[in-house]
Amino acid sequence: MSTLTATRSRRRDQRPAWDEEPSFLGKSVKALFLLVYAAAIIVPLWAVLATSLATEDALVRSGGDMIFLPTDISLQAYREILSGGAVTKSLLFTLMLTAVGTAISLVLTVGAAYGLSRPGSVWHRKMLTAILVTLLFAPGMYPSYLVVQDLGLLNDMWALILPVCFSAWNLIVLRTFFMTSVPGELIDAAKIDGAGEFRTLFKVVLPMSKAILAVIGLFYAVGYWNTYFLAVLYTPGLETKPIQVLIQQWLIASTGPAGQDAAAAAAISSGMENAPAASLKMAAVVCTIIPIVIMYPFIQKHFTKAVITGAIKG
Amino acid sequence: MAVTAEPAAPTAAPPKTRATAPRRKPLRHRLRLDWPLVVLTVPALAQLAVFFYAPSAYSVIAFMDYSPYRSLWENPIVGFTHFQILFEDPYFVDALLNTLQFAFAQLLFVFPTSIGLALLMHSVISTKLRSTFQSIVYLPYFFSWVLVVSVFTQVLGQDGLFSRWLVGMGGDRLDIMRDPDSFMFLAWLQWTWKDAGWGMIIFLAALASINPALYEAAAVDGANRWKRLWHITLPSIRPVIVLLLILQLGSILSVGFEQYQLQRASVGWGASEVLDTFVYYRTILSANGESLGTAAGLFKGVIGLLLILAANNIAHRLGEQGIYQKS
Repeated sequence: MSTLTATRSRRRDQRPAWDEEPSFLGKSVKALFLLVYAAAIIVPLWAVLATSLATEDALVRSGGDMIFLPTDISLQAYREILSGGAVTKSLLFTLMLTAVGTAISLVLTVGAAYGLSRPGSVWHRKMLTAILVTLLFAPGMYPSYLVVQDLGLLNDMWALILPVCFSAWNLIVLRTFFMTSVPGELIDAAKIDGAGEFRTLFKVVLPMSKAILAVIGLFYAVGYWNTYFLAVLYTPGLETKPIQVLIQQWLIASTGPAGQDAAAAAAISSGMENAPAASLKMAAVVCTIIPIVIMYPFIQKHFTKAVITGAIKG
Repeated sequence: MAVTAEPAAPTAAPPKTRATAPRRKPLRHRLRLDWPLVVLTVPALAQLAVFFYAPSAYSVIAFMDYSPYRSLWENPIVGFTHFQILFEDPYFVDALLNTLQFAFAQLLFVFPTSIGLALLMHSVISTKLRSTFQSIVYLPYFFSWVLVVSVFTQVLGQDGLFSRWLVGMGGDRLDIMRDPDSFMFLAWLQWTWKDAGWGMIIFLAALASINPALYEAAAVDGANRWKRLWHITLPSIRPVIVLLLILQLGSILSVGFEQYQLQRASVGWGASEVLDTFVYYRTILSANGESLGTAAGLFKGVIGLLLILAANNIAHRLGEQGIYQKS
């Protein structure tokens, strides 16, 4: 594998002999397009970061809610939102939700992926079909709501986890990995040595699948961190709201016409008078982005491989 | 003991080919062998039973005059009345038309953007430049819609960066975040910003698997870069394009909920109502809409099912893999 990438990168860094050099115009257009595209993503994020670090003075001088070049940097906004108010509670709640949800999701996905990785085992086709059918149809919003209601989970944290804790797509990716990338000889050897299925799973298969497990776990984690729809649907009365709901109330709904939304937004920022409002909001946005940026390099490194195993071979 | 008695360990068999000789052992015996595999699968099956199969079964209330104050079987059955009401309801028809518009706009504009970006990236020689660019454009895919809309408001909103720059240049404030007429354009910007990078990564993975010898042979035979693009690159990524197209077609009526719900207040429901928001506001937030909303949801689910089966069938006929094999 490493030799393969090495040859590829050597090939990629030099234009192969048979390839004609593109014209200067072609190159410039390409470079300009890529530059503009990247800037369209970077510049807004930079402005968010700069504003979150701005002082009241700097904001007033720039005459608006956003600044681009922070002249004097202040961490006051972060101190305010992280000092135990509504934002802190919401961030901690969402972290907890993410951790619990991801753990449950991984247990379900690993179990099913291993359980279904042996064609010919008992009920294999039936169980696999029962899972794959779920990819073809989506039950409606209200029937799902009814089920959650029947279970007594409305306005309960578990309503944000249980309905979405298992994804058939991730199952396919992991199952395909188990079937194609874990050598069957190893599993046979473990069995001959007297290991049962559970021991084989934990001692042989899982240690070989760390990277893909991490990627799948991170995908689930991003999903839980971004929980918004389920919270709107199932838990509108939850006292501590997921961070996305809080951001929505604070940043998006407060710009709308309804006065009630303004009250909810004011409640979030009450007690945070020592930093400019714009900085506080942008600091909350940055805090919501940070976990994703932390996970990001890892997802990126291993993701392509996972997608290929899932999409092409699945 | 029993382990060694198991013939031809199925793991050795390649996937997708059926076990050549199905074992004809009694169920009891097979269960004694394989029960751990069943036990491991059961939690996932239970999750689906509760949160997929049960709601699917609950969809029967689309055919009833449902009231939450009666037990399920006491509700009178009214057949297709609610579907009839739906299609006579201008709000539903508007939501349906909006949904189709958004879906086709996604197919027509965002999908090709991803392919274009991938092709462009593929032609960049410097590895460093490519990986930097990939990291940048792929990042917003992981942002929630809440974040995307927030960031867009900060930049393109009335008091946003762009407006201020325009005012500074002596122009007018930009009002695109609140203008119903240009909401389609705004939605397109947001999709592209958020998701084009994701599509690009998938196509790049497909592009990376093309054998470079093909290009060399074609170049030696005198094919220029456009001919190589047309005769080698595009045919090579066709299976991936078809796969993604099928998936998109299958979900053509589910363009999402969050993006539209979040911007409903600012652009008005007329421009932003899609099927999911229709169901939400009609059933969850208003009384007596249960059966109607369920009917709308069921309509969406069934159309999605038919579309995905049809698209896959067509893909098979065209000689592509599709998402599943006939077996």
